[in-house]
Amino acid sequence: MELKFYIESGIIESFVLGLATEDEVEELQQMRRLYPDLDTEVELVERRLERAAFDEPAMPPMEVRDRVLQKIRWEQGSGQSELNSNYTFINIQPKDGDHITVHRWWRVFFIIFFIMSKIFLFLAIFYYLKYRQSQEQHGLNMPAANVPFNQEQQQNIFFL
Amino acid sequence: MLIERLVIGDPAARELLYDRYAGALYSMVIQLVPMKNKANDIIVSVFTWAFHHIETFSTSGYCTLFAWLMRKTREFAIKEALPETALTGTELMEREEGILQQFCLELTADELQVFRLSYFKGLSITTIARLLAVPEGQINETLGAAMKAFRKFLKDTWN
Repeated sequence: MELKFYIESGIIESFVLGLATEDEVEELQQMRRLYPDLDTEVELVERRLERAAFDEPAMPPMEVRDRVLQKIRWEQGSGQSELNSNYTFINIQPKDGDHITVHRWWRVFFIIFFIMSKIFLFLAIFYYLKYRQSQEQHGLNMPAANVPFNQEQQQNIFFL
Repeated sequence: MLIERLVIGDPAARELLYDRYAGALYSMVIQLVPMKNKANDIIVSVFTWAFHHIETFSTSGYCTLFAWLMRKTREFAIKEALPETALTGTELMEREEGILQQFCLELTADELQVFRLSYFKGLSITTIARLLAVPEGQINETLGAAMKAFRKFLKDTWN
């Protein structure tokens, strides 16, 4: 009696339509374990809905079928080529003038080149700053040594 | 058996699955997403997903492939559906005649409103309650009544 009431509540229809909450789905699964007859009822509802949907089908355009099947064939083709190394992958896409194809080693080369350029840039800045620092220190030391000389020179010039 | 053949990736079985269910699913998609390009994309996505996840069917709780596919179709369609603000719910009824549209004619105004928001827009009970400024319990009851009506509708029409 309780099971009949549960079925009549429309919970199975709610589950089949995808409207049942997680708790309701969990409860339904538990009830199905307790009462295996519920499985028959679920199947009955699904079959009714299937019959209803098949009553008024609307076929999608043929291009949809082609897209779906093309995907299958593509995946199948790539799967087979992975399994069997004797197959050669040939890209039949039309080549445009904007893109070039290069060997994968170029990627390694470009990564190394990029890292090296960063290192050289860092070293260049570092040594430039070092050079500036040494120049400044040199500049600071120079006037102390030059002052007497300059004064002497100025005196000589003055006497001349 | 179709499911076993699908699990092993039989291409003929995949074509058979498409040919058998595409029409029924497409009629459901265009009720949810009445835009041709989007509806086409949804069908492609559903079948691609199905081919890749066929092994999950046995643990899904569904007994038929159709119900399993229909559930996923609705999920994809709701993701692709128009934003909530763009739909009032009434225009969906005018687009295509389908089983759910026929069923909607049998609902009371409250049940119809809650069912539309739940099924067509994929809103949760909490969201519907907030949207309509009604307690969640009341929304649950209304949706429950709609599901009872749906059960009766299915039994009376396709038993």
